[in-house]
Amino acid sequence: MYEKENKLIDAFMRGSVSRRSLIKGLGSMGITAATAGVLVNAAATRALAQNGFDWKKHSGTTVKLLLNKHPYADALIANLENFKELTGMNVEYDVFPEDVYFDKVTAALSSGSSEYDAFMTGAYMTWTYGPAGWVDDLNEYIMDDTRTNPDYNWEDVLEGVRKSCAWNGKPGGELGSDDAKQWCIPLAYEQNNLTYNKRVFDSAGLSIPGNIDELVDTAAAAKGAMDGGYGIGVRGSRSWATIHPGFLSGYANFGQKDLNVSEDGLLSAAMNTDVSKDYHAKWVKMIQDSGAPDWSTHTWYQVGTDVGAGKSAMMFDADILGYFMNAGTAEAGNLAFAPFAANPDAAAPTPNIWIWAMSMSSFSKQKDATWYFLQWVTGPEHGLFGAREMDLVNPARSSVWADETFREKLSSSYPGYVEMHDVSAPGASIKFTAQPLFFDLTTEWAATMQKMVANEIPVDEGLDQLAESVNSQLKDAGLG
Amino acid sequence: MEHTSTLERVLRAIAITLVILFFIFPIFWIVLMSFQTNETILRVPPSIVFEPTLQNYQALITGELDTAAGKLEFDFMSNLFNSFYLSTASVALGLILGIPAAYAFGRLKFRGSEDIAFTLLSFRFAPPLLVLLPLTIYFQKLGLADTYFGLIWVYQLIVLPLILWIVRGYFEDIPADIEYAYRIAGHGFWATFFKIALPLAMPGIAAAGLLAFIFAWNNFIFALVLASADKQPVTVGALAFVTASGIQYGQIAAGIVLSILPTLGLALYAQRYLVEGLSLGAVKG
Repeated sequence: MYEKENKLIDAFMRGSVSRRSLIKGLGSMGITAATAGVLVNAAATRALAQNGFDWKKHSGTTVKLLLNKHPYADALIANLENFKELTGMNVEYDVFPEDVYFDKVTAALSSGSSEYDAFMTGAYMTWTYGPAGWVDDLNEYIMDDTRTNPDYNWEDVLEGVRKSCAWNGKPGGELGSDDAKQWCIPLAYEQNNLTYNKRVFDSAGLSIPGNIDELVDTAAAAKGAMDGGYGIGVRGSRSWATIHPGFLSGYANFGQKDLNVSEDGLLSAAMNTDVSKDYHAKWVKMIQDSGAPDWSTHTWYQVGTDVGAGKSAMMFDADILGYFMNAGTAEAGNLAFAPFAANPDAAAPTPNIWIWAMSMSSFSKQKDATWYFLQWVTGPEHGLFGAREMDLVNPARSSVWADETFREKLSSSYPGYVEMHDVSAPGASIKFTAQPLFFDLTTEWAATMQKMVANEIPVDEGLDQLAESVNSQLKDAGLG
Repeated sequence: MEHTSTLERVLRAIAITLVILFFIFPIFWIVLMSFQTNETILRVPPSIVFEPTLQNYQALITGELDTAAGKLEFDFMSNLFNSFYLSTASVALGLILGIPAAYAFGRLKFRGSEDIAFTLLSFRFAPPLLVLLPLTIYFQKLGLADTYFGLIWVYQLIVLPLILWIVRGYFEDIPADIEYAYRIAGHGFWATFFKIALPLAMPGIAAAGLLAFIFAWNNFIFALVLASADKQPVTVGALAFVTASGIQYGQIAAGIVLSILPTLGLALYAQRYLVEGLSLGAVKG
């Protein structure tokens, strides 16, 4: 089956046939674009099988994965047959909806269950899983030539993303430090930048804001131009997730931090500096003047849905949220992307990032076999397949970002996306301080923000109170 | 004969209409949403006028949906089956275990009976997660993790105390003299139980069974923690439509309509027993 097609694809892999000729040729053989993608990757997998690594070492072994219902997981599943063929291994998986996914992961890990060998995770979550002994340090595998194939090319993973998944477990310890443990390996990641409605911006004569003051003004002007809608979408629910996207990206651009780390390793609140208070005041004013009327309930879903439905003129949130909303929505095709540096004196944006990554359960009973899967799914071949043929955006590897086919795909349907990524990727990393009270303290930060927006407390006073509370909690936990 | 004025009748009708609207409107809106596409649902401003479509129901049945972010695959019908299977089997087992126990607690006074009954009720007090994490470890050791049998067993934490305490009150309300009279006529204990006590308590049993079924149907956490994706009920399955690439409101609405149908049908069928059973069982003579 697919003999002729495979020959054509092998010719493409050798470089003797152009991509255009390949697509034309496959089309004439009745192959759909999706099938063509899998076949092209099958050829890449065949090439991978020739790299001298014993891919069949764990043939016959079955590994089980716990996955979140997400386009990244869809890309993994779509390419799974190639992994099975490469290794002779079998892969089973459970997919759970995102709303309950981390409950399932926490329950499985905290009970010491050996059911799942590997699972999808966010980097923040590994700050709990790692020190608890629930996940393995993957450096042991990555750095071992006998267990890792020679084409894995770990350095190809974007530095900021790679380091954001590594922590030494010491509260306040720098991410990616020399003694850090690699708790997870990135599949793909989100940067926080501007997604704006080009139709609205063009008709109202608005230009893309270049700093926080311009953002506040543009949001207000956009609100005036919207018929019943609002100017800018940002998250507002009482959750840590309100702080981490646009807000923290802009905040970090001013060199501000969530916590200070003293020389003796003690932590203290850093969010009540003068610069921070000024930034908070502008952010709060922007929401009050031009944000969603029900801002305090807004999560990822509402922010994305509103920009897709034409209810908001722009959003300062995850770039891939804008990517998803630019198809199949009322404003499909009207959304465009721009990098955003809140600080007028900053050289480039410094987006905080969310990373979907893979971790290995410490309770797995077949870790070497599991590592075979992990190195394949986080390797360059699968990354390229996911980015070209599926929605594995933003890929975590620089080689994938260098791929012209992928860049063309993005540029043709998502104006400004590639440029936005290229400008902001060098400064992209997790901007939070890694420590065990992360979720509690950041949720309190969001609660304080809600009070400020509701005018229940002035910004200065709110931040002083927040800092006091954070310091007290850090002391109680022996961290401050 | 009591006369009501026209004004009173009109005011009463308005009040009843308002109450009905208040309770029915969310369900009515969900039913409307289930016949709309996501784009129609999200249009600004919302409108009650739309071109109805069956694509949401079709997607639920076929398990595939073309979305903005590509093809979304799910197995909602399997979730529906799991809910039905787990709830029915759990209630059946709960009734088999609970009715004799309720009779014993209601009729036969024995040492420690109140303590045991209260202990069973206390299963309802514990936060499920507190119970579930240690239970996960035991289930894995016993080979019960990720099995329907294990789940049905755990569901007894929901249904058994409910059945036991409702039916117990009902048995206590039946005059013991009726049973004594039957026993004097030469019938044995079990014959009295099956021929007299059980039929007289049937409305209470039906009410308890129905309530237990609804509670079991609405449970979310037990299967989530203890089982794989293929054994999840609708309460978990419906969340598959909330994805990073957007919320599929139409499918969620259609999923809600489909998932409330079994309990709604059962409640409509048994509502006479439900009202009678609950009200009679609640009053002690």
